[in-house]
Amino acid sequence: MVWKDLLVERRSKETLNALFFFGLLLLFVFQFALGPDRERLAGTLPGLLWLGFILSGLLALGRTFVVERENDCWEGLLLAPGDKSAIYVGKLAGNLLLMLAIEAILLVLFGFFFNLDLANVLPGLAVVIALGTVALAAVGTLFAAMTAQVRARELLFPVLLLPVEAPVLLATVKATEAVLLGETLGSVAHWLKLLAAADVVYVAVGVLTFDFVLEA
Amino acid sequence: MRRLLGGVTLAGLVAGLVMGFAIAPREATQGNVQRIMYLHVPSVWVAYLAFGVVLVASVVYLMRRAEAADRLAHASAEVGVLFTGLTIATGSIWGKPTWGAWWTWDARLTSVSILFVMYLGYLLLRGMIEDRERGARFAAVLGIVAAFNIPLVHFSVYWWRTLHQPPSLMKPGPGTMPDIIVAALLVNFAAFTLLYVYFVTRRARVLRLEAEAEA
Amino acid sequence: MTAGNWGFVVAAYGLAAVVLIAYWRFLVRREKELQGQGSGVSEPQASVSGHPRSEPASRSPLP
Repeated sequence: MVWKDLLVERRSKETLNALFFFGLLLLFVFQFALGPDRERLAGTLPGLLWLGFILSGLLALGRTFVVERENDCWEGLLLAPGDKSAIYVGKLAGNLLLMLAIEAILLVLFGFFFNLDLANVLPGLAVVIALGTVALAAVGTLFAAMTAQVRARELLFPVLLLPVEAPVLLATVKATEAVLLGETLGSVAHWLKLLAAADVVYVAVGVLTFDFVLEA
Repeated sequence: MRRLLGGVTLAGLVAGLVMGFAIAPREATQGNVQRIMYLHVPSVWVAYLAFGVVLVASVVYLMRRAEAADRLAHASAEVGVLFTGLTIATGSIWGKPTWGAWWTWDARLTSVSILFVMYLGYLLLRGMIEDRERGARFAAVLGIVAAFNIPLVHFSVYWWRTLHQPPSLMKPGPGTMPDIIVAALLVNFAAFTLLYVYFVTRRARVLRLEAEAEA
Repeated sequence: MTAGNWGFVVAAYGLAAVVLIAYWRFLVRREKELQGQGSGVSEPQASVSGHPRSEPASRSPLP
């Protein structure tokens, strides 16, 4: 398990670096596309933020099993004794941390480049981001395992993940929009409940079906 | 047995057409374009039925490993995607003269489009995994995730479209429809359901023949 | 207002008919092929191509 942690650590650092630059690049693109029109930019900010999150997420989550795959450890995964769900939870936790780290960095960058005052809205924003990220990571980890051995995995993984996450993205963007406008979390309670429900469903399905995915 | 099903299906479809064109009257506000509803709404129903069957068949497959359940899931997903595509197309064609645009981001079209891409992905996954047993297992897991996602899609899109939006953007619901139109709709519902059963049984049969041929 | 809209109705029903009939023909043809194979026809039937298919993924044709 320690060995595994070390591997995760090493992968995370390089992934984090790459994703930092990716996020920076995204910000520049957003600015070029929408910069001159200050008002339009402000309106699209929640969407852009989550676009940044999901694109980075695709890259990060897609690489969940890259270590096992590249080092020919896949058989080891399949033949591991005991409940495979533990592997899922472990990978999920790792992915959650990674994604939250990326999102924090992106948030800071957004705040810096677009002159946002995030201090007031941070608690509410944190709740929305946490709920949304769990949903992304839960399905992403499951699908990453399923597409790991497929030849066109870089294509199939986003094709599978994005439509499933569409309602989650909708909910998070709407909730973020409200929070950034200074409204209370209570005003978007329905969106938060939807996110919470999604979290519960996705994690439960992930835990229950991972055994079937990693069957020998 | 299958001939009987085919015959009944055909009869049902003809009945549906008759009801839709000859018996049902021209609708007051939308005119004849409203008759597209007799295609569009039953298609949506069949799509949901199909994806529900995919869920059940997927669960059965994971628990029992019955090849028949896997074939049923595959066939039902394929027919479901077919009717989902039809729903989108007919919805769009209905929308153009009614709302003035080929595409409106209304609740039904949007949710159905998400479902379309989801289950298209399901079919893609099946096509891309060479190992038959693994493909069946993974497809079953995906079928379960996708099915649980359907209510999430529904609610999120519905809230997105109706909260803080004037209700006129929603398509007119079946609330105040005259009986004769409801009757025509129900006949078409039945006809399409029969068509679904017919297609799925034939498709599953083709899958079984393919499996036997490869053995 | 509605006289010109018959075009849309025809388009919708026509599209539905084309798609559904095409799928039906795909099923019938596929079944015939496979049954021909199953009963040990000496020459394997050439895989049919060119008939319209409305969904992208299906089992690859038998060699």
